[in-house]
Amino acid sequence: MHSSITNVRLAGLAVSTGSQTRDFIADGLALGLDRVMLERTAQTIGLRERKVAAPGITALDLCEDATRRLLDAAGLDASSIDAVIFVTQTPDHSQPNNASLLHGRLGLATGAAAFDLSLGCSGWVYGLQQAALLCAHGGAARVLLCAGDTLSRLTHPKDRSADPLFGDAGSAALIERTGHAAAWHFELGADGAGANAIIVPQGGARMPHDCKPLTEIPDLDGNVRHAANLAMQGGEVFNFSLRQAPPAVAAVMRHAHYTVEATEGLVLHQANRFVITTVGRKCGFPAEKTPSDVVEHYGNQSSASIPCALIHAFTEPLSSRALKLVLCGYGVGWSWGAVAAEFGPLVVAPIQPYPHSR
Amino acid sequence: MTSAEKLQALQADVDVFVGATEHTSLASLPHWGSLAVLLVILHCETQHGLVVTGPQVRGCTTVGDLLKLLP
Repeated sequence: MHSSITNVRLAGLAVSTGSQTRDFIADGLALGLDRVMLERTAQTIGLRERKVAAPGITALDLCEDATRRLLDAAGLDASSIDAVIFVTQTPDHSQPNNASLLHGRLGLATGAAAFDLSLGCSGWVYGLQQAALLCAHGGAARVLLCAGDTLSRLTHPKDRSADPLFGDAGSAALIERTGHAAAWHFELGADGAGANAIIVPQGGARMPHDCKPLTEIPDLDGNVRHAANLAMQGGEVFNFSLRQAPPAVAAVMRHAHYTVEATEGLVLHQANRFVITTVGRKCGFPAEKTPSDVVEHYGNQSSASIPCALIHAFTEPLSSRALKLVLCGYGVGWSWGAVAAEFGPLVVAPIQPYPHSR
Repeated sequence: MTSAEKLQALQADVDVFVGATEHTSLASLPHWGSLAVLLVILHCETQHGLVVTGPQVRGCTTVGDLLKLLP
């Protein structure tokens, strides 16, 4: 689905990460794995460190911290926010939604709308499109887009195909209505036939937590997980990414009349370096325009990975001028979203762990 | 490409196959696992423009079975 939305701007970005550092090699050695194999995997996939949330800290807490730091940096009051969208697959509760909880924590006006989007790695682009629509056509002048997850809580520590990949983070972005801005061009899509390739089977209404005891089951490679753990078919997800991301990127670039040469960056969902470099090459972009090192510092941050990559790779230029960028996220649900747009100048709050160190 | 050429190219990309022959059982390779499956999928895509699935790779018993997936 294509959409072009005019007269909106990205006004600010912030990301708060988990405060605990996990080291890929050290974690593997603690499980009794071979150091040479671990180092080889680290080199191939691009895994080093990741930041995970401290006990008791949720995506809501991380996004609240990012929002407060962003509002401070921008000199804005929370009362100026007309709507809050919260993208997450790890909400505090099945009810109420995270957006309403954040609405209450920030003391937003009762006229401000609040709703969640249940999406993962494609979610920031989906949320950006919804926020832009609210500003362009929905009566909002300023929308808060929060996106984040604590996926490290969903993986089994003995599942080496998933557990080493994920970090925890929460992002905040401000999207505003403006009278003079070039169109943002979006391409959103989904292939529900592949929805089970990334799944947490137990814990929803179909298979409630109390329906059966959790039994740990090893797979063919010796990875262990139970039904409430995140299970991912890596090969299928990789093929899906290669199949869907490049056409989505090509479509938004065609609508925006962007060339690779004129585009200053292709910011892909930071799954792992292996996937990013392959998808980037398939999109026709040189490696220097495709940031891929975020994941080695923070892990795969689900819907917070694109804003984190924007801050990590483009803070200086984004703070001072407009950049032609193409963003693309892809993942759970088998869903994808791409956008080609000019972003900046905007307020950027630095990436910080939460709780803050004293 | 001959089978020998395909194996040589595969060994260059995925080092778990170094020293293997067409008759080598995949299960006997010390580092055969989910990462190796991913690397085979990547090799098929980048070197041959061929999309193979995880179950297709998992369904192979020997290195020779893998090579038969390639054009």
